[in-house]
Amino acid sequence: MANQTDLVNRSNGRIEAVQEREAIAPFVDVYENVDELLLLVDVPGATNDGIDVQLDKGQLTILAKRHEDAAGSLLAGEYRACDYLRVFAVPQGIDPSKIDAQLSGGILRLRLPKSESVKPRRIEVKQG
Amino acid sequence: MFSRFGDASRDFALFDEFRRRMDRVWEDMDPSWSASPSNAGTHASSAWPRVNLYDAGSNLVLKADVPGLSEKDVQVTLTESGVSLAGERKVAPPPGYSAHRQERTHFSFSRSLTLPCKVNPEQTQASVKNGVLTVTLAKAPEAQPRQIAVQAH
Repeated sequence: MANQTDLVNRSNGRIEAVQEREAIAPFVDVYENVDELLLLVDVPGATNDGIDVQLDKGQLTILAKRHEDAAGSLLAGEYRACDYLRVFAVPQGIDPSKIDAQLSGGILRLRLPKSESVKPRRIEVKQG
Repeated sequence: MFSRFGDASRDFALFDEFRRRMDRVWEDMDPSWSASPSNAGTHASSAWPRVNLYDAGSNLVLKADVPGLSEKDVQVTLTESGVSLAGERKVAPPPGYSAHRQERTHFSFSRSLTLPCKVNPEQTQASVKNGVLTVTLAKAPEAQPRQIAVQAH
């Protein structure tokens, strides 16, 4: 495959993306217990200010931007600074105002607490 | 009711997976193909962790993605002409939770890389920040860039 040095003759049939920066799908773990859903996302290189989590119409969008961390001229490369993007359909009964996101060591921890109405409730049986 | 936890952009992940497999076919045919910087990122190597090597004048800087690993989990060993990275990532589900989806896997890795020049082992530093391992290797004196003064006659 030729390097893109020629600006005039583009190889035909190749569709160009609008943005140069690509978004890849990071690995995600999804756990659940009685109180909440817990998501763990691998986002190495992302920092707090680059993370955007939104819950809209039952869709949870996780976008993490990675900082350009070039430390000189590249001699050999296996990855490029990219964005991490995953979109999930989230079940009903999640309280959007209580979603909590924490980033440590390249792992994003998302806690999605269930609202009170969907939590299982124990009914006490009274003596008649 | 909480079992309907679906991934809306899964269709596109399928394309990614296809591309990754095709890249591996190319890589098997010609290993230099993925190693050239112009192909960096889009055609990632299948080795883990993925590594970038930079030339920063008097240093070589090596960066590797190691999400979830702390300083204690990574061993960096320096030989005369190369550097090797070893480590292990253990993934334990948090207690009290049931799992819907587990894509983040347990990793145990060991990679050896040949460096383009000799390095000074005394001045090598390694750190882990935001899930990225950075190893700074000082070039040996004979490999340092040297400014030659141009003299007028």
